[in-house]
Amino acid sequence: MTIPPIDAELALAEIRIRREQVVGANLVPAWFWVAIGGLMVMFVAAVESARPVFVAVGSVVYALGLAGLILAVVRRGRVQVRPSLIGARGALAIAGFTLVLVAAGVGLGLLLEAAGAGWPATIGCVPVAIGLAAGGPLLMSYLRRVMLSRPLAGSR
Amino acid sequence: MTAQFDDLIHAPTRLSLVSLLAATDWADFKYLRDTVGLSDSALSKQLTTLEEAGYVGIRKAFVGKRPRTSVRLTPAGQAAFAAHVAALQEIVARSGLTVVPDQPATGLL
Repeated sequence: MTIPPIDAELALAEIRIRREQVVGANLVPAWFWVAIGGLMVMFVAAVESARPVFVAVGSVVYALGLAGLILAVVRRGRVQVRPSLIGARGALAIAGFTLVLVAAGVGLGLLLEAAGAGWPATIGCVPVAIGLAAGGPLLMSYLRRVMLSRPLAGSR
Repeated sequence: MTAQFDDLIHAPTRLSLVSLLAATDWADFKYLRDTVGLSDSALSKQLTTLEEAGYVGIRKAFVGKRPRTSVRLTPAGQAAFAAHVAALQEIVARSGLTVVPDQPATGLL
């Protein structure tokens, strides 16, 4: 069977649009990164306070908050993107993003502690939280470009 | 991969469904229904057609007490979809239409 070229092009456009829908449904929203950053700073501050009541409350709030955030994102997703769309480039970007933030947070915390500053871990966490809030959406934007740049079919 | 136009996939509703499934591991029945805009029965009919062709697998499970139906593209379905996409691209390329292969679309259809 042959079809007019314009129909073939429209069919290809439909395929691209449907893939964009799946990719879009899988991206973590910006509010998630801000919320994770806020929870993390709150939790570290609670632990660093060394006051049992703050540690207990902070731990419970962190655990419930994290569970709630993950649940909200999972329920919002409703579909799992094919991992091959993310590929090695996407996986490396995720790993690099994580490593940079962890290294920055731990490094700054240790430096502050060595310098005798108060609340070193909490202060060290602040740039990490800012990095999450600012970098998370950028990472999602990059992953979106990576996934949409894959061939429509065949290269899996 | 050999380009092979596939009439079964090319039907508009099935093209939408297979395109969604090609980008996923598993897709929830409700997700497909809501995204493509079909009734439960219309979606079931299309999925049965694709299942009979060996293009999709359907899994029914319970999450708690709720039944959940998930759908995935089988390897045969993936191969047929890839061959169909290649056939579409060949048709477009032969015609000389300006096409940027495999780039994200911004609003056609």
